Amino acid sequence: MAYVATRGGEHAIEQAERLFRSDLGKISAARVSEIKTSLPYLVDRVMGEASLYEPDLAALALAQAGGELSEAVLLLRAYRTTQPRIGYAKTIEQADLFTVRRISAAFKDIPGGQILGPTLDYSHRLLRVEVLTGEDYVPEPVIASETPAPAEQPSLTAWQKAQGLIADHATDDVAPENIPDLTREPLLFPAPRAHKLQSLARAETGGVLALGYSTMRGYGDIHPTVNELRLAEAPVRLRHPNGTVFNAGRVRVSQAEIITKSAKLELGFSATFGWNEVKVISAATLDRASAQDAPHAASTEEFVLYHTEPVESSGFCIHFKLPHYVTFQSSLDAIRRVKADNVENGKAPEPVNEKEPAL
Amino acid sequence: MAHEPDAVPVVGTHDHSSILGILASGRPERIKACAEQVLLELSEISVLKNRTGLAMLPFQDTVEGTSFHLGEVLVAEAHIHVAGVDVEGYGAVVGRDLEHAMAMAVIDAAISAKRASVAIGVLLDAEASFIEEQEKTRLRMVEATRVQMETF
Repeated sequence: MAYVATRGGEHAIEQAERLFRSDLGKISAARVSEIKTSLPYLVDRVMGEASLYEPDLAALALAQAGGELSEAVLLLRAYRTTQPRIGYAKTIEQADLFTVRRISAAFKDIPGGQILGPTLDYSHRLLRVEVLTGEDYVPEPVIASETPAPAEQPSLTAWQKAQGLIADHATDDVAPENIPDLTREPLLFPAPRAHKLQSLARAETGGVLALGYSTMRGYGDIHPTVNELRLAEAPVRLRHPNGTVFNAGRVRVSQAEIITKSAKLELGFSATFGWNEVKVISAATLDRASAQDAPHAASTEEFVLYHTEPVESSGFCIHFKLPHYVTFQSSLDAIRRVKADNVENGKAPEPVNEKEPAL
Repeated sequence: MAHEPDAVPVVGTHDHSSILGILASGRPERIKACAEQVLLELSEISVLKNRTGLAMLPFQDTVEGTSFHLGEVLVAEAHIHVAGVDVEGYGAVVGRDLEHAMAMAVIDAAISAKRASVAIGVLLDAEASFIEEQEKTRLRMVEATRVQMETF
């Protein structure tokens, strides 16, 4: 593809940016704070796709982008490049999670029980239009139990492995700094499982959903059932210079396992920053699908991982609106030349659709 | 909170790991106020680090046991040296609050220098209770959503 530098238009370009920003108005700390507290799931989505956890910055990115998600993710990814990597936290295991929601659609009676947690799963989806006429919507308070739920919930897959229902894989004890890292290495195929899961963790939610949905509908051999879905907070455990490991705070994470039956019970897995159930269920489905010998694109690791990268996909898409004058002009010249050659060689001109403009 | 397997109490009943965890998850304004008080008992402090940076967070897949990187967490950290007593202090908190990280480092250094033990002990007990109460309140609401599904 031919690119060319363009000149001119500086004034219009500056005014265009001013117009965009003036339409959004003043961005204040109060606005950012309001976004963070009122739209936590949107903030989560931006942090997940940006692969950087910092709710204030994600809310600021949303404010600056006016809610345009791909711009917000790009802003946060760009900010990330200004920060040094100061270390690796200890690897999170399921038993570490401060769990607020944990359900299984495949097994009714699971060790530890089913906890719905914060969800709209069984709610009516009705707009509270009265809010628009000045009547505030105040949610009903939760009637708390006398006793608290356990902060940690047992592993369902551990129980299934003990029952011999699913394969028991050896746990990977690799040191955090030796785990393959997409931010330091290119994505090559066949991808190591660590790259695949990292790539899905930072994938674009809509892209993962579209491809996951295609396999669920039949473009593939996967009919997933949620084996376990968790919303939780994971501790970020760092190392003090004297070696003491401590919890520096917690981050919101989602995790899903899907189970499917072919010759035997097989599972797919996904986790991401923030609470984003659609993403992890879809991504776990794609994880399982990519392990199967299916001809469909959504079952192909390379197709899925390349096309769900949020910054690369949105960036490639929107670059087509930037000046391509030379590329397009050369295509136009080629078409005109062929036409002229045909006339010169006495060939009959192709029938012209009257609605098409003359070139 | 993560504890070292051979943890020994350092202040009251708190070992070093739990002290750092309480300081990181406690109320920032209380931690900062205590650090201001503790500073009066420490000699000249050199700041070795006070910056934000990224900590990569690995996660273990529950299906095949593969460890992978979930993403990076922005962390504020502080590392100081106290000249007169030749001790260091370190603090790191999830987020961008450099003052919180510095206050944590100051208290950590004071603990190493065995200064202001009473004030620090009071702070740690209060913040540990606050964190525990907050978690308990949240988990009592979570428990209210426990469901027994029936099939027909």
